[in-house]
Order: sequence, then structure tokens, then C-alpha cells
Amino acid sequence: MIHRRHFIERAAKASFGLAVLPNVARSYQIESTKGLAGFGSAKRIIFINVKGGMSHIDTFDPKKGKAKGPADAIKTAADFQVTEYLPEIAKVADRISLIRTMSAKIGVHGPAQYFMRTAFAERNTIKHPNLGAWAQHYLGASHDTLPSSACINEPPRYGNGFFAPTYSPIPILEPSAGLENLKIEGGARRLKMKLELANTLSERFVAKYQDSNVGAYRDFYDETLRLLRSKDLEAFDLSNADKATRELYGDSKFGQGCLLAKRLVEAGVRFVEVTSDGWDMHQDIKGDMDDIAPSFDRGYAALIRDLEGSGLLDSTLVVLATEFGRKPDYNGAGRGHFPLCFTVGLAGAGVKRGFVLGESDERGATPDVPRTVEDFHATIAHAAGIPREKPFITATGRPFHVGGTKGKPMLEMFA
Amino acid sequence: MKSSTRLFVVCFALIGIGLSQDLPADELSKKEIRQARRKAKGRATPEVVDKVERPPLVLAPIAEVKNPAPVERNRDLTLSLQQVMRGAAHIDHRLSTKLAAEGQKRNAPSSDEVFVRRIYLDTVGRIPTPDEVWSFLKDTDPHKRAALIDGLLLSEGYVSHQFNWFADMLRLKSTIKRAKYGLYQRWLKDGIRENRPWDETVRDMLTADGSTATNGATGYLLRDTGMPLDSLSNTLTVFLGANVSCAQCHDHPFADWSQREFYEMASFFGATDVSHRDPRKVGNRIKGHADLSKQDGATIFSPSMHRIKDTGENTLTYPKDYAYDDAKPGEKVEPSLISWGHRDRQLPPYRVDLNNPHKLRESFATWMTHRDNPRFAANIANRLWKQMFGIAVHEPIYDLDDLNKGSNPVLLADLTRLMVDLEFDLREFQRIIFNTKAYQAEANPTPAIGEIGEYLFAGPVLRRMTAEQAWDSVLVLALGSDIDEFQVDKSHQTTRFAMDFDAIQSSNVALQDTALAFKKAGYVGGGSKKRLVERDLAGSGRMPHQFGRSYLLRASELPQPERDAHFLRMFGQSSREIANDGSREGSIPQTLMLMNGEFKELLMDPEGQLMEAVHAMDSTEGSLEKLYLCFFSRLPTVDEKNLLQAEIKRNLTFEELAWTLFNTPEFLFVQ
Repeated sequence: MIHRRHFIERAAKASFGLAVLPNVARSYQIESTKGLAGFGSAKRIIFINVKGGMSHIDTFDPKKGKAKGPADAIKTAADFQVTEYLPEIAKVADRISLIRTMSAKIGVHGPAQYFMRTAFAERNTIKHPNLGAWAQHYLGASHDTLPSSACINEPPRYGNGFFAPTYSPIPILEPSAGLENLKIEGGARRLKMKLELANTLSERFVAKYQDSNVGAYRDFYDETLRLLRSKDLEAFDLSNADKATRELYGDSKFGQGCLLAKRLVEAGVRFVEVTSDGWDMHQDIKGDMDDIAPSFDRGYAALIRDLEGSGLLDSTLVVLATEFGRKPDYNGAGRGHFPLCFTVGLAGAGVKRGFVLGESDERGATPDVPRTVEDFHATIAHAAGIPREKPFITATGRPFHVGGTKGKPMLEMFA
Repeated sequence: MKSSTRLFVVCFALIGIGLSQDLPADELSKKEIRQARRKAKGRATPEVVDKVERPPLVLAPIAEVKNPAPVERNRDLTLSLQQVMRGAAHIDHRLSTKLAAEGQKRNAPSSDEVFVRRIYLDTVGRIPTPDEVWSFLKDTDPHKRAALIDGLLLSEGYVSHQFNWFADMLRLKSTIKRAKYGLYQRWLKDGIRENRPWDETVRDMLTADGSTATNGATGYLLRDTGMPLDSLSNTLTVFLGANVSCAQCHDHPFADWSQREFYEMASFFGATDVSHRDPRKVGNRIKGHADLSKQDGATIFSPSMHRIKDTGENTLTYPKDYAYDDAKPGEKVEPSLISWGHRDRQLPPYRVDLNNPHKLRESFATWMTHRDNPRFAANIANRLWKQMFGIAVHEPIYDLDDLNKGSNPVLLADLTRLMVDLEFDLREFQRIIFNTKAYQAEANPTPAIGEIGEYLFAGPVLRRMTAEQAWDSVLVLALGSDIDEFQVDKSHQTTRFAMDFDAIQSSNVALQDTALAFKKAGYVGGGSKKRLVERDLAGSGRMPHQFGRSYLLRASELPQPERDAHFLRMFGQSSREIANDGSREGSIPQTLMLMNGEFKELLMDPEGQLMEAVHAMDSTEGSLEKLYLCFFSRLPTVDEKNLLQAEIKRNLTFEELAWTLFNTPEFLFVQ
């Protein structure tokens, strides 16, 4: 039986043999950033995915005049302002930094989400990995029994991309429920016996088809067994957290998701994505922000505080991402999609504190110097210590770099 | 190229004549006949009521809330078996020619055991029961495969399976922003049940008037309330395979679509009000009166506030940040239809009224669903092919811009013609494909992702079950084919509150009186949200079994989509935000669920239906055979029997063996 992982490795070796690599090196000159400020400072990454398109003007890039939304701007612990929807974040603003000049072209949720999570446009011929899978490829597994990546509040959505299926993040769809179905009926010995029998009974089927998806399923059984034996399994169980900490994060799916993310990175999972859903505010910015902003504000601020309190913030990168911003035109109702200018954030892990990179114009419509999603990914890869100059060659001989070939790390972000 | 094209046209015309010889020739009269026939049989969708008889806000609460009577299942197969076989043979010929040209050939025919499991999963969305397997295997009729296909396509399980397929494609949700879409679900299921032609279905969705309380077909456009551009982008992709998502914001980087063309298409919906008033605001207006709550207001008024109405005035303008010099920001957008080739515009569908603002949606729908629309028939044929073979003739399904790019363009052209000849009868189309030798051949492993577009269909590809197929199959193991009889219909949650949209703007007192009348009649409040009540039940009307937090109902009868940590979501049921987003990938939680999940109590409980049947056999061999028939739809081989008999002598229990079979790829994959 050929597992996909082995196949990819073999194909990759064959490609090297055919001298694909020298060609690649000639075509894309990507400079190593090793040794520069911030390189490798992020031992762990929490990637907060604000899904639906966060209105930059109503959150982290407040405006006056016609573009102004329902909320006023407030002062923060840093030199920048946020809107009054984010009072808790305002208090920890001196520990986070913003990029207010993100610019992209995709204004449809699905493709834009894909782009923000991978830095590649969605294609039919290939699936691109998320940053967790990239990191696992270049830096190895982050723990001997726990998975290296997790995603909270969302399914994995091809997070492994062109890497082995087991590089896919482990999904936790309900943070408070954690990882379910851990109790093995009949004990470990019977389980082992049954799984061996299952393998024997499957031999004919597996040999007949030699199918990569079947191989992937078998790999997941191996991964699962390893996880079941892990001493750190309790990190997934929020009922082990003390009550005060759980309350600090707030009783919301996002808040508890942030707490779970913190516990997982602390236990040794390198990359954790947490999704906050419901930001597609076409009809009623005020009503929708009233619904969502408090739990977001509380969860995010609690995460920064808790990481700092545990001494982890300096080595944990907290990424705040969204697929696009929302339109500057405001007529008292909602706002449409707006990819041309929006705000993202970085905190911890060697990133400057209370810093803002770039400014948008008075409407929040045009960035002074546009920063791309590729730049953003290159920046995160730099912080994670990934050698961006080294391409990964896929099974079909295509070379890929984290953040594509055009991404440039925003080194100004690092202290 | 040209002569070969003509040759194929001639070839196919012959087949086409064969297929449609007993149908009237004129297109319009055919439709009329069809409608008349349906009315005569009483199949007209009963709940579609545009005008509510009840005067606004003066309520006469109905004594008993009942779901509309179920539509009768349409059991009339249009084509004769001979016609079906001729169509199937033609497609096989096309496939074989292409395979031969590439030095390949069709796979060997699948065994009856493999076929019976595959065809149940592909038509009724679940594995067969041992009885169903056995009655097929022992049948000696040489045409038994064709007969089984016909029977399955006419069964209730087909409605369930096909609904799941539509739900993934149309991003169907039970609730969106506090609005309930039970009537939309009901309408879609009725459409499958009565085999409503695809062109009619799409036309009804695009031209629907009324509200979530009066017309199920409004669900399609209301789903994207407040997002007309996203809605159009999805419409063009899902129904035409037009890859336009980039043109929404800027000129398409690869294809020919410009942003201006995108807006011109959107303009067809510019004179339509897809209401987006927030029911919470109405809720606030009644809150505090008597014991009314804000939520009561939302429940009562929301169904009528989500409504579609043509205004007669086209209000779409180019956006303020419009960046190209072919139009000015803020300028009114004139409707215009996209085309793919320079000759397209001479085709009949392009002769529609672009000027009458009262008829814009109708013109758009006429163009889109026309038999001569350059992509409409090809798109649905290509998508159905993927449903059956696992890979489409033209990949990806959402980009049919260049029809010559697919693995077998001539085949796609044939299938398109077939779809048109069949007058968009999806069931007959599937019937022909299921009868091809190619579909009935042995499966291939899935090609590498970069080679999917070049697959030539020596057989279908090996697929993991969809989430819905996996869940429904677990239910069959636990409860038998009985599960097809349990149906849920929650359309009454909106239909009972149907009222005049404009009346909701009346005085607070009128709103409060109305709400109170409903409350007094017991239409709001009380009863747990999660539990089913008697009036939710359709079909047999039987209350389903409850298990843990879930009802043991087929995926099509459960909330759309299910809650996040449900088996269905864990196995990749789409969150219904993105079209065709269902996933077949594995994960650790999924494996944990297969190994330790709660339904092992259903399957491996010694007193459960499955294990009781296994224990009831009078020999070990009989029990082994039963288990294999249940999980794999086949008998164990001699080697397997020997091995397992030895294991059972040692100390393996049948319950443990059931667990083992459940945790093999042969269970979860469709061969």
C-alpha cells in the first residue's frame, strides 16, 4: 500500500533528481531573513480568523465624517484609537500592533477566506496549505503525541493543502465540549486486537484500489492512537481550567475558543486557528456589532492578558486576520464587502507593542502603502522561523513558497 | 474539427429522435401539457398562496395547525427501457472511443455485490439492508439492474438523497438571521417528489414572489437577503458554471468577464425588493405589552417580513469606487446579458425584454433556463455526472467558461443535448447514466488532484461516503430501511403566520393585538425548541427515535446544517456558507467518533436490532454472513470465514467484530 505522504516524498525526491530545484532557484530570488529582527521569535501561533469580513472602520481603524459608523472612537493604552465597541482591547492595546493598510482584490467570502488562510488564490489543480502545515513541514512536528495544528470553531477545510492529510489541523467545533469520544470501550488491548483485525480484513480492499484517500484514513487511525496515549490530552478539556479563567474569556464560543487555543499552544500544539463567525454585516452594523463585538472584545483581550500572565506572550504570535474590510459608505444600515483596504493585527513574539503600520485615507478606502496578504503570510512565516527561500516541490513538480514568491515580510513590525 | 463536430451532431440527432419520439414537438405546448397533467393529478404545490385571504391584523387563529397534504410521488417514468438502453449505449460508445484513443479501456463490470451497494448509495443515499441485498443477488432476471435502478429512483429514499445534493449546492439552511426556511425545504422536496423539471425549478426560484410564509421558492433569493451581488455571483456559478466571482469587484483576471458585465447582469434584480427589515425592531415594538416578548414578535412577524416583490423601478447604480472608464460611478446600470461566444447573441434565449422593469427577473429567468442557453443544460448535466461518477466531465464544475477544456468535450456536448431532449427531467437523465456500462464498471482510485481534469471514466472513482450517506447508512444498520419513512416538515412554523407585508408597518397597538391573538391561540412560546412536536411530522407521521441529543432521522430531515459537533458535521457536511462545500476528508475527531462514538451503543448493543439479528442466526457462519451483508453488502469469502471462525473460537465477540467491520475502509468507501 502506498500512503500519500510516501508518494509525495518519493515524487519530491524524483523531482530533485530531475534538477527541478536549480531551475526554481534561478527563477525566484527570495532572500533569507534569517538573523533579522523577529526571525524565529514565534514558537507558537494563534491565528484568529474573523470570518465574514470585519469592518475596519467600526473596529480598529475608526474614521470621522461620512465613513464613520455608529460607534465613536475611544483612546487606548497605545497611541492609536479603536471604536467604543472594543473597550477591553483598548486596555491591552499597548501590547498589540496593527496593519491598517492591507489591500486585496477578492471580495467574495469563500475565495477571500481561502486567500487569507493560505495566501494563494483558490485553484482547481491544487489545494494550498495553511501556515500550520507549512510550519510543520519546515520545522517538524511540535509535539510527539499531540497534533501540530488545531482549528477551533471551524472544520479543517483542506488545511494540509498539498502536504500529507495528517498535517490537517485537528478540528474542535465546540470548544466547551473539547475533544469527544476519548473513552475506549474494552480497554487498550482489545482495541489493538480489533484494529489489527481490521487491517487484516482490509488487506484485499486496500491492495485492490491503492487509493490515496484510503491511505489517509489509515494514517488518521495511527495519529488518533498516538493522541489517545498522550499525557497532554487534558489540554483539550476546558473543564480542567479554573472558573475565574473561564470567566475572564467570557461565556461565548469565541471566548472559550481563545482559552482552548491558549491551553493547546501551552501544551505544545504549534499552530491554532480560532474562528469568530458572524461579521458579514450587510444590513445592520449597529445591531450586529452589539451582538458580536462584546464577546470578541472580551475573548481577544483575555487571550493577550492570559498569555502575558503565563509568560508566553513573548514567544507566542497572536495573529488577527479577516478576509476583507467593509465599505466606507455608511447610511445607517450595513456595509458591503471591501477588500481594497482593511486592518489586521499582530501581537507578541518579538512584535513591536502599540505600533501601527501604515495609514488609510480619511474614508478608510485607500491605504498609503498597500500591504498584501502574501506580505502578511511572509511576515508570519518569518516570525515562525520558516526558511521562505526554500521551496516545497509538490508531487507534480510545482515549487511553492510560504506567502508565494511575491510576499515580503513586514520587518518594521518587529522590535 | 468541423466535420467531426457535424458527425457527432448527426449521430446524436438520431439518438435524440429516438428519445423524444413520443413527446409532442412544440416546446411551449409541451410545458402546457405538463402543467395541465400535473394539475389534473393534483400535484400542484399546495402551499404556494400569494394572497392571504385573512384581512391584515384581524386574525382568526386556525384551530389546528396542519402541514399541507404531501404531494403524491410521481411514479411515471417517461422513457421506455429500450430508449434508456439506447441512450446509455450511446454514452458508453462516446466514452469507449475516447478511452481507446488514449490507449485505455473500460474497467471490467462490477460484481452484483459491489453494484447493489453502489446503486443504493448513489440513488437513495444509504447502504442496502441484508434483505435488499439478498433479494437482488438471488434475482435471475437479466435486466435486474435496470429494474432495481427504476425502483430506487421512484422511492422516497431518492427524495432524501437528492435533497441533500441540492442542499449542498444551494447552501440551504433551516434558519438564517432569525428567518425560518421550512417552506423552502418543503418546496424543494416536493419538487423532487413530483419530479419537477430542472428548468422549471430554477425559473420558479428566480422569479418567486411572496414571503417565507407563502411561497417556498422565495427561499433561494431570500437566502442572500441584502447581498444581491453575492447572490448573483452564486446564481451564475451554480446554474451556469460561470466563473464570475472576481468580476464582482474588478475585471476578471483570466476570463472575459468585466466588472461592467457583472453589474449589467445584477441589474436584472435591480427592480426587485428582497426585503431586509429586521424583525427584532418589530419585536421591540410589541415587547412589554401583556406578556409579549421581543422574541414573540420576531417569531410572528419575521415570516412575512422576508419577502420578495418587484417594485417596477430599477435602482442599481455603479459603485462609488468603480474603477474602469466604461461606466461612471453612481450611473444607472442598464441590464444586459452575458455571452460566451460571439454567436451566442443570435440564439433564441437572448430575445428577451430588457426594458420593462416589471419583467426583468422574468427575462433573466427565461434566458437562463432556456434550452438554448449556452451553459444551462451543460452545467446541470456536468454536475449530475459528478454526483454519479465522483468526477465531472468538465472540472471544476464552477468554471464552464471554456467548454473545450474538459476531459471529453464531445461527451459533455452529448450530455447537454440529452438533458435538453429530456426537457430537464433529472431523474430520467440519471436513469440513463446509471444504466451505462461505464457507471456499472469497477471503480478506480481517485486520480492525483492535478490529473482530475483528465480522467476518462473507465469506471466511477472510489469515494468516501458523503457525510449524509455515512449517517444515513449508520441509521440503516441500527434501524433498517424503516428510516426512509420518518419525515419532518416544519413549514407550518412560517405558513401559520402569513400576513400582509405592508400591514406590519401599522400602529404598535395593531401589532400587539395581532401578536397577542397568536399567543393566545398557542402559536408561540411553550415547548422546547429542540424537540419535535406532532405537527412537525410528515410522511408516515411517526415520531422518530431519540438518541442522546439527536433524533434518529435521515440527514435530509434534520436541521440544515446540523449543529457543529454532530456526526454529520464531523464527517464533512457543509456549513452551507459556500456552494458545494461538503468534504470527504478524514480527521482525528472523526476517527475517534468511529472508534468510540456514542452510536456504538446503537450498533454494538447486544440487544439492539442489528446484534439481535446477528445472534438470532443458528450458526457462527450464519452470523458472520449476516454481519458482512449488513456492513459490506456481500458474503464473507472462504478465507475471511476461516479466519473469523478461528478468532471467534479464541474470544472475539460478534459485537467486537461489528466494531471492526465498521472501522474498515470497505464500510466507509463507495466502490
